[in-house]
Amino acid sequence: MSFGAFVLRNIVATGFRSAAILICVALVAGLALFTALVTQGSEQSLSKAKQRLGADILVVPRGSESRVQTALLSGRPTTTWMPKENLDKIAQVSGVQRASAQLYLASLSNASCCAVSEMFLLVFDPVTDFTLQPWLEQELGGPLKLGEVVGGTHVFVPEGDDFIMLYGYFLTLKANLEATGTGLDQTMFMTIDTARDMARISLSRAEKPLEIPPDSISAVLVKTADSERHAVARRIQQDLPGVAVVERPDLFQEFGQRINVVTKGFFAVLGVSWAFATLTIGLIFSMSANERRREIGVMRALGSPRHFAPRSLLTEAALLTGLGAALGLILTYCSVLLFHDLLASALNIYFLLPSVAHVGALLGQILGLAMVSVAISTSLPAFWISSGESVGAMRARI
Amino acid sequence: MKFLVFLAAIILTLGLLAAIVPQFTDCASDGKSVVLANGKSIPMKCHWSARAEIAVGVPILGIALGSAFSRRKETVRILSMLGVVLGALVILLPTTLIGVCTTPGMTCNTTMRPAMIAVGSLVIAASLCMLAYNELRGRAEM
Repeated sequence: MSFGAFVLRNIVATGFRSAAILICVALVAGLALFTALVTQGSEQSLSKAKQRLGADILVVPRGSESRVQTALLSGRPTTTWMPKENLDKIAQVSGVQRASAQLYLASLSNASCCAVSEMFLLVFDPVTDFTLQPWLEQELGGPLKLGEVVGGTHVFVPEGDDFIMLYGYFLTLKANLEATGTGLDQTMFMTIDTARDMARISLSRAEKPLEIPPDSISAVLVKTADSERHAVARRIQQDLPGVAVVERPDLFQEFGQRINVVTKGFFAVLGVSWAFATLTIGLIFSMSANERRREIGVMRALGSPRHFAPRSLLTEAALLTGLGAALGLILTYCSVLLFHDLLASALNIYFLLPSVAHVGALLGQILGLAMVSVAISTSLPAFWISSGESVGAMRARI
Repeated sequence: MKFLVFLAAIILTLGLLAAIVPQFTDCASDGKSVVLANGKSIPMKCHWSARAEIAVGVPILGIALGSAFSRRKETVRILSMLGVVLGALVILLPTTLIGVCTTPGMTCNTTMRPAMIAVGSLVIAASLCMLAYNELRGRAEM
């Protein structure tokens, strides 16, 4: 009988034990992949959301900073207003390179005049904007015209329609932005002229008119030199007491903290399960080595090489680990891929799935780590059955 | 033979899931419906996908029971092939043939569609396993 056939027969003969090891490894490898996907995906999502906003400092009315950040991240609409003159004051603060105003609006909820329900509408000024405008110039070859909008990756024109109707106003979706994994994916971006035209039309065509208070803005996005960001933020705060200033690293801090709590929890569970699984597998193979003392003794007495038994034990462990880890990794990846949105809402965090190449690297790392862990846990029983002393004891018992 | 019964039990469970899960994960189960201009409410697209899954789930149960009690190799072979086809239909109903609602955050999109893709894939995999086992068993008996 060949060495491979011997190992395979051993695995099949101890079906329950092999299945226990297989499931144990599959569960731990799956949990490791899930933790890695959630941790890395949520960090990537957060960084893309910050990149999409593209500002070094966000200035909003005092008291609304948390609400605005939640709206930007979750896509749940909010409205907040401050005087438009704040934009001019901020633009004059020393160290401010560029400043642009934004208006935050919401579509109506379940209204027949609207194709979409409760969508966050982000209105920008194309003259001063430095976040979307460069992308629009590059992708569309020019600015948005009246009645044209761009949307996050989940914004779509309803089936059978050519336009998106909001407040009785027909909007043309020109393009979709790259996914961020956050609520920005279901946010619609339009120019201030389109928003004002929509407000005008809504007076006669919508169930409820769109109200944009005159001479009001919702937020100001500020661009500064990196070294000056903190000083500029402090100056804005001193000059305009009615506003709250959020610096880029502090953006979505609440979400960042939530990611930390969730990932710490996952890593703790993963650490405990990994250690427990390694110990259990070591224990199972120790029992296996102990049970097979007589068999090993017979093989040695018949002249089998000294390293045959430990080699078979290690190969058995490697095969079961490889199969179990592969099974766990494939099932976990497929589940995360299919139930991504459900998981994100259940965990209350946003995460993007990494690229295929990145996932491939992750799978390789986890598989390698599983193999090393099981090699360590089975090395003790393997060493024991290869030691001359134990073999002597076996021979003596035959 | 025991393995065949084990596979049949898996297919039976999956058939039940295919028929039951969509009934509780479509938008109608969330109380959502399409309101027409005349004020009348009609079910959304995902509701019809959910109904159609019953028509596919029940024959899958039949396949599972048939293959668990059948002794004839030819019968198991045909039932396995039917299992593959019905598994594919479980996937195709909410993805292509009827579809689900277009808004990404709705329950039919986050739960029903991925659940049916998973269940359909597992029905196909289990049916293929059954087919392979049946053929190997046949060869061993010869």
